[in-house]
Amino acid sequence: MTNKETVICRCEDITMREIQETVERFQCSSREVKLRTRAGMGSCGGRTCRGMVDKLVEQLGGPPISNEIALSYRPPVRPVSFGVLGGEEK
Amino acid sequence: MKSMRVQEHPILGNSEKKEAVTIYFDGKPYTAYTGDTVASALLASGVRTLRKHEETASPRGIYCNIGHCFECRVQLNGSETVRACLTTVADGMYVTSLTLPKGASI
Amino acid sequence: MIDLLIVGAGPAGLRAAIAAAENGLHVSIIDEFVKPGGRLLGQLHEEPDGSWVNGVEEAERMYHRAIQLGVEISTGVSVYDLAETPAGWSIYTTDGVRESRCLLLATGASETPIPIPGWTLPGVMSIGAAQVMGNVHRVKPGHKGVVIGVNVLSVAIAREMQLCGVTVDRIVLPAHNLISADASNPEKMMESLLRLSHLAPSSLMKIGGKFVSPKLAARFYPRNGFKIWGIPIQLRKTALEIIGEEQVRGVRIAAISATGSVIPGTEEIVDADFVCIAGGLTPMAELAAVAGCRFHYVPQLGGHVPLHNERMQTTLKGLYVAGNITGVESAKVAGAQGRVAGLSIADELGVLSAAGKEKIKEAVDQTVHTRKHALIQFNQGIEEARHALYTEFQQLTDKKISV
Repeated sequence: MTNKETVICRCEDITMREIQETVERFQCSSREVKLRTRAGMGSCGGRTCRGMVDKLVEQLGGPPISNEIALSYRPPVRPVSFGVLGGEEK
Repeated sequence: MKSMRVQEHPILGNSEKKEAVTIYFDGKPYTAYTGDTVASALLASGVRTLRKHEETASPRGIYCNIGHCFECRVQLNGSETVRACLTTVADGMYVTSLTLPKGASI
Repeated sequence: MIDLLIVGAGPAGLRAAIAAAENGLHVSIIDEFVKPGGRLLGQLHEEPDGSWVNGVEEAERMYHRAIQLGVEISTGVSVYDLAETPAGWSIYTTDGVRESRCLLLATGASETPIPIPGWTLPGVMSIGAAQVMGNVHRVKPGHKGVVIGVNVLSVAIAREMQLCGVTVDRIVLPAHNLISADASNPEKMMESLLRLSHLAPSSLMKIGGKFVSPKLAARFYPRNGFKIWGIPIQLRKTALEIIGEEQVRGVRIAAISATGSVIPGTEEIVDADFVCIAGGLTPMAELAAVAGCRFHYVPQLGGHVPLHNERMQTTLKGLYVAGNITGVESAKVAGAQGRVAGLSIADELGVLSAAGKEKIKEAVDQTVHTRKHALIQFNQGIEEARHALYTEFQQLTDKKISV
């Protein structure tokens, strides 16, 4: 099945197979998948893959998608340089 | 190669004449037009690969084109990392492909 | 300190700015794209009466009206954090910190990806990316492309690409996997396609009229699909893999049964220099999450949306939402919601007269009316889902008051 060699997190190059194995081995939540595989921890802040990770976890018998946002958003929601963070204007 | 520019359009009309500028990508000059983004100018010149993945070296280009996915990030004038799809061109702009060591912050 | 800062210069943000500024508020808008208009920019479609709606022109009209009213609009600026303050909100941007009494998040939606082997290759882009490339930047996404994913957005944008002189070879379903689910199932996709019949009356009505049930329609769907505007829509073909080494060279496709299983021996490779992934839209609510809004998961609205009421208030003081961040709908609905938000904010800041307050109700009714008559229905059950959300909000605020 080529399906399994599909990249889910483009930023960190994490495949569907890696996520699937992680969920199956650790029976874990999206948050744990993120910490174990780095899926969702790249430059885009998980914007592209978070929904896919949630869905995969749900499909594989993990916690279903609920009102709570499984993969919390933390600032900065856009990568910013130290200069900007330090108050230096663009 | 057939032009990638949409010169004529049945509803939007013909493209206005715009001022040509030169931008550099990895040292090579490309013609762009004012109002282009780095991403659209390079695509119009047939350049699709903007960087290689930091770890796997798989080639990457424009994906979302509106700043969400960060796949098109490039280095501008040797310092700042920017999204090619959100950066408008300027004459003489020097853009380089980015290969950051894993874990480095941008 | 300004009265209102709006994040997002799309139809919701612009119309909110206009409504607020008309009532004397000092308003600023920031947007990270290179020009204002949001997703209105790429849109181009034919109304049932044969006239064309050009999103670029509509965005320009709203932009000029806003500027005329003294609204400050900054583009190319990103917001990376925000915090509630005693006086309102602090918004941290790549262009410094802004302080505002009220904050409106009109950040729109992001595209839902459908992962397929090879989808990281240069030349594979989201369908919206191709739309912006062609209609806004006036650069073709490629010469010949394959669209993966059948939905309102993909069919409409395929047509737009065609107007740009691009060959859209075909629209196919994505390969079946744990994520694509319904999007890889011909029967389910037929249902959603039938909701498009008003956009291409001649060709789709024929199919819709012939096969009343989507199930039957999927079963008897011609193997090679049928054409809308000359573009083959192949519900019985699936994209197994995007091929190429340095960039897209083509797509490996196969025929599938009515329920989506691959029929052995039908694989073939279709040449293409670009591929569009069309997985639909999801509200982009990250700033609302950072702010601490309460959320609800509402599949009919496209995913997680910040809990809000019909006046566009969230559970946090001075924080409002409008447009696709509240649920995926058409630009017209987004604009109508924007007007509601602008007026509600004017009311919170105490600048509305009695007659002005009446306008909020009118604007809310106008939103419902616009939704009912929208040309494109993204999902079914939107009105019901919204009603449930507003009731939930009401119950929550009632509880707060009684405690």
